[in-house]
Formats: sequence, structure tokens, C-alpha cells
Amino acid sequence: MLKTGFESGANSVVMLHKTVPQVAQELHACIGCNECLLACPAATDSITIDVLNRETLAGPISVPVARFARSCYQCGACIAPCPVGLHRDAMMMWLKVRMLRSGWGE
Amino acid sequence: MTRQIKSNNVDSADIVIVGNGISGLTAAVEARRLAPDRRIVMITKQNHPTINTPALKQFAIGKLTREQLLAYPAGTERAQRIHVINARVEEIHAQSNYISLTGGRGFGYESLLIATGSIATGLPTNLPGRDFDGVLTLHRLNDYLDMRRRLSEVEDAVVVGGGLHAIETVVSLLYWGIRVHWLVRSDTFLPRMLDRPASDLVLERIRRAGAKVYTETEIIGVVGRVGSVIGVITNQHQFLPCQLVLVCTGTTPVTTLATHCDLPMKCKRGILVDDQLRTSVRNIYAAGDVAALKDPQIGEYAPRAQWYAAVLQGRIAAAAMTGSAVPEEGFGVPWHATRMGELSVLTVGNPLQWRDTATTLRDSSKGSYRRVSIVDDRLVGYLSLGSSQPDGLAIKRLIDEGYSIRHIKMALLKGKFDARKYFSHQRTYAAHYMVSTGKLPSPGTVEPPLQTQPLVGTLRETGPLASPSEVITYNGAKSEVYTNPLRNTYIHFAPIQRMSDAILDESEALFFERGFAPVQAMHQLQDKPNIIESTLVSLPSNKPRRTSGSLWSYSDKLPTVKAKRENSQFIAPAPIHRDAQTFTDSAKNQSAASSVSDTKELEHPNTRIYPTSSLWSYTDKQVAVKKGH
Repeated sequence: MLKTGFESGANSVVMLHKTVPQVAQELHACIGCNECLLACPAATDSITIDVLNRETLAGPISVPVARFARSCYQCGACIAPCPVGLHRDAMMMWLKVRMLRSGWGE
Repeated sequence: MTRQIKSNNVDSADIVIVGNGISGLTAAVEARRLAPDRRIVMITKQNHPTINTPALKQFAIGKLTREQLLAYPAGTERAQRIHVINARVEEIHAQSNYISLTGGRGFGYESLLIATGSIATGLPTNLPGRDFDGVLTLHRLNDYLDMRRRLSEVEDAVVVGGGLHAIETVVSLLYWGIRVHWLVRSDTFLPRMLDRPASDLVLERIRRAGAKVYTETEIIGVVGRVGSVIGVITNQHQFLPCQLVLVCTGTTPVTTLATHCDLPMKCKRGILVDDQLRTSVRNIYAAGDVAALKDPQIGEYAPRAQWYAAVLQGRIAAAAMTGSAVPEEGFGVPWHATRMGELSVLTVGNPLQWRDTATTLRDSSKGSYRRVSIVDDRLVGYLSLGSSQPDGLAIKRLIDEGYSIRHIKMALLKGKFDARKYFSHQRTYAAHYMVSTGKLPSPGTVEPPLQTQPLVGTLRETGPLASPSEVITYNGAKSEVYTNPLRNTYIHFAPIQRMSDAILDESEALFFERGFAPVQAMHQLQDKPNIIESTLVSLPSNKPRRTSGSLWSYSDKLPTVKAKRENSQFIAPAPIHRDAQTFTDSAKNQSAASSVSDTKELEHPNTRIYPTSSLWSYTDKQVAVKKGH
């Protein structure tokens, strides 16, 4: 059965920084300047922002993106450098939720 | 996957898109998602795939590689069965629904999207020396590739132009360590977007960063030696030596197709479109830099040459062309955010257009500047310069949806607006209203209704562009109700639709808990007003709520609220949890969920324990601290 991954008890609720429509809106507003990935202390693979955005939004999640999402520890270093004031941390959180749902959490 | 289109014998398609910029490709991908079996063709004369154009400056200074510029992963077009034709569209034969490509080849369409974008305005054509090597007009990928190749041998550069594009170029050059001379035509920077203090702040920061700024200065000639630039001459009789002249003087929409159409297409600073991106010609749409949208505040049509606007327009055009529901977001007011070195700049709405009618608050502390324009407790314009970027999309939402900002004026002014907290409170007010009155809310009733007619409102529909004589092309009788600008204020069904959004947002928590994907499950929720289940509802109170009080006041107020819930006529007959049986996962854990009404009651423990995200983290942290010590 699908788990949210945080706690599989009866009362586990996942709260996002931002709601899903807001995360989608921010993903559409991303200009792809890569500043967040440059600032990221956890980025190891050479993943590109277009792939990260598409896979955060919908569809299957590839191995490099899943590895990146696992290594992300929500430090928030990506928020300050964003020139358009978007919240990559909320997007990463949503990616993680999606990942756990699609079976990457095992 | 069956390939319906073979490359050689294509002569018509359901959806034809001209241009492969971000609007065009977004529209194509979105149309594919909405209509999996339509034939989609994209005609472009660009020789590279769609790229993140705002990231080109980072690319030019070597912060990005070429692969990182791609807006969509490589091969998206093929994977999405979007047929790309490399050709130039010469004419539109709208009466017989086909276009002609270079060489006279015809191509039929059912819906046509013009997403031809814009070209750089560049230097005046009669400027002496404009064709020397080293004079670059920055607009396309090729221009930036050229600039990137030259940067290593440049010591001085001249940047021409007074817009955001120019200042971003200046900052990029400074980052590279080049001496920059920046020529601005007016005496302030961005006179239509920034007021004088804001402009002064920007110019002072740029000067401090090392650029030489020349205001009220124009280039009157380029001096070259043996074919390449050695300097420019300005109208202040100065000679500025340089090896590179970068021209960032704005863009012009490419509206040639509008003039090469056999039916008259309304066009003035871009092709005029309505809120569904329909042009004045049937079955032809326009999106992106080429489309001129109506500004809901000032009522003028103008293109919005901006990334997010282009993406959104692509999506809306796709929905309109496939006959699907148009995304809820709407265009709303213009929004622009950028960073210039250490300075973040955000403008939402038209902060300078409201000089006489609006109350303006200004704050210029700690090296930042904010200007908040307010009409009747509604935000109409927001301008912010500072070291950090506020949540611009949330502020845009404040304007678009006409929320009252009575209690957050100071937060906005100081740049400390917490969007998450504010919007969750809005939902709480709305839920409270629904519980106490049993009616669906609209912003006008949650907050006391305004005495005067509001100057701004949610503008969902601007009506068709066709003039009465062409009215055959549309049967939009309903739309015309809203074409009168004086009446174009509050559309009451729109806020109610918005509330259903709020319901969806709030219900995510429930879905997550059950392991449902909200995106898939959302449509099931449309008619179910079960917002109460997950919303923290406060007691009716005349006093304005204090933000910090919610955590503590929650537990003792809940019983009253609960009683209210049961009495409420709004809750009682609601068909809540029609598919409660599918939620077996959590239902099992909460003893037997036999009947519909039982399930509703059983929701309570959840609500009580985790009312807000702040409480969540609060309890967690407390425990952790205790364990640690």
C-alpha cells in the first residue's frame, strides 16, 4: 500500500510549504537560470533544471532525479538565489511526496 | 504509439503552431496532453529547440552550459508526437483555413496559433557605424553565443538601453570583470515601472558595483577601425572607448502574419487577443510576446514579454484550441521579478498608474525600497527592491483576487509578508463564514462589502474582440456582458469558483494522508464541500484575529465549532464522501466506517490533532528538544 513515508500511522498528514497548485504555478514560472542548483549543497549529479522541473510536475521519475531528491535535505539554500522569488524547497518537497507514492521510497 | 503523421505527406493538421518559443512549445505539449489524438504541427524557422531565454545571460557569462538552456528535455517534441516543420509561414488564408509556407506550399489547419514572438528593436537603422564587428543586439541564442565568444578579449563594453534587459546585461558583464559604460536615454531607470527613489536606488547600486552610468545619454555613432568597434560617440559629446557594444533597447512583436492575413486581424503593438487568446479572426489564436493582452487595471492592450506570462498563455491557448476548460489562473495583472546583482526587484500590477486614486505607502529602510498602492483596502500595485525577493506570485494573487489587505499592510510594506500564513487564514475566515451562515462565500461577503464600486476585480472574461459587424465569427452573447469597462468590476461567480480552489487546497492534507495523488483525485472533489474537515475554524468574534492566538485558542474553541457544524444547514445535506469506501486505508484505522455520516464524524480526530502545519512542526520540535537534553 502506498505510504506517505513520514509516518505510516493512522493520523499521518503531510503538509507542504505550498499547495500543489501553487507548486505547479511556480514550476511554470521557473526561468531555468540554474541558480538554485548552483547554490545547492546536496546536488551531486549533473542534473538539468528542465528535467527536474518536468519530473517534479508529472510523469515518471528518473534515477538521477530520484537520487537528487533523496540527497536534498531541505536546507533552503536554493530560495535566496532565485531571481524570480520561487521556492525550490517546496518543489523538492512535492517531488519527494510524488516519489514516495510512486514506489521510490522502498 | 502509432505515427499518424509521416514527414513527407503532411498537408494539414488539427492544430498548427507557428513558432517554437516557449509559448508555442508549451501550447503544443499542453494540447497533446488535453487531446491525445489530434495532429499537432509546429512550424518554425528557428534552428534550435526551445530554450530558457531568461537564462541566456547566465549562459553568456559561463554559468550555464548549452544543454542546461533547454526548456524541455531533449526529444520532447518527438516523444509528444509534435511534428516540427522547419519553414517560414508567408500568409494566412483564414477564409479557407490554410497557411502558405515558403515556396508556395499550402498547409491546412483547424486551429492556428501564432506564437512568433518578438524581434529586438536594435539601434536606429541610420546610425553611423552600426554594422561594425562587435556591435551586438542581444536577443537570440546566436547573439549570446557570439557575445560569449568575445567576452574573454573585451575590457570595456558599452551597454545601450534603459530596461531590465539592459541592466541584467550590465550585471552579467560586471560579474565577468568587464568595465561597463551604460547609456540610459531618460534621466531615471525604467520610468514606467519604477518611481524616482526606486530608480535612484537601482542606479546607485549599479554604480557601486562598478558600472559607469550615463543618464540622458544616447548613442549617436559607433567608431570603428578596420571593421571592428573601438568606441562610441554619445549625444553628450563624449567618446567612450570600447571593444563591444551591446544593444538592449527592447523588443517589437513580430506581427507580419497579422498583416499577411486575408481577413483583417486587429493588431496594435501586438496582435490583440481576448482572455482565451482568440484573435479577431475565427480559429486563429496568438500567444507569447506577439499577443497583446488587456491589462485588467488600466484597460490597455499591451504585450507581456515575460517568461511566466508566455508559459501561461501557451497553456491557455492549448486549452482554448482543444476546447478544454481554460486553466483557472487567468492572466491577472502583470508581474515581473528579477535580480540585479544583490538587488532583487519585483513589480506587481501597475504601481505607478494609480497616482491620484490610490493611497500610496512607501518604505525605504535598510537599503531597500517598497511602494504599496492601495485602493479601498485592496492592493493594486506593489513595488519592492531589496536584498530578498518577496513571494511575488502570492502578491499577484492578492491583486488578482482582490483580497483585503487591511491587516497585512505593514507586512507588505516591510517586505515581511508571509503568504502561507495569510492564505491559510483567508480560508479559515471563509470556512467560518460558511459554518455560521450556511452559505457559500465570496470575498465581498467574508470581508464587509465595499461601499464604492471597486476599481479592480477579477477579470475572467474580456469578451471577444470581433467588432459587431464580424459578430458571426462568435456567438459570445454571454461574454459581451463584461466588455463594458465600467461594469467590468466584480464578477461574483468567479470568487465562488475561487473558493472551490481553496477547498481543493485544504483537502490536500486529507488526500496525502490516504496516499492519493491530489491531481488525479481532485476532480472527484469538485462538488463536495468538505472543507470543514481539515480547516481550522475559529469562533465568531468581532475582534480581528491575532495570528499568534490560533495555536492556543484552538482546543477550547473546537467544541463550540463542532456544535455549530452539526446545526449548520450547509453541512447536513452535503453529499460528503460519496466514495468513502475507496478510502479504505485510513478508514480501517479509524474503526468501522460503515455509513456516510459516520465517516464524516470520524474525520474529527485528525482535524483536532493536526490543525495546521505550524502545529505539526511545533509538537515535533518540542519532543525532539526534550529527547535531546
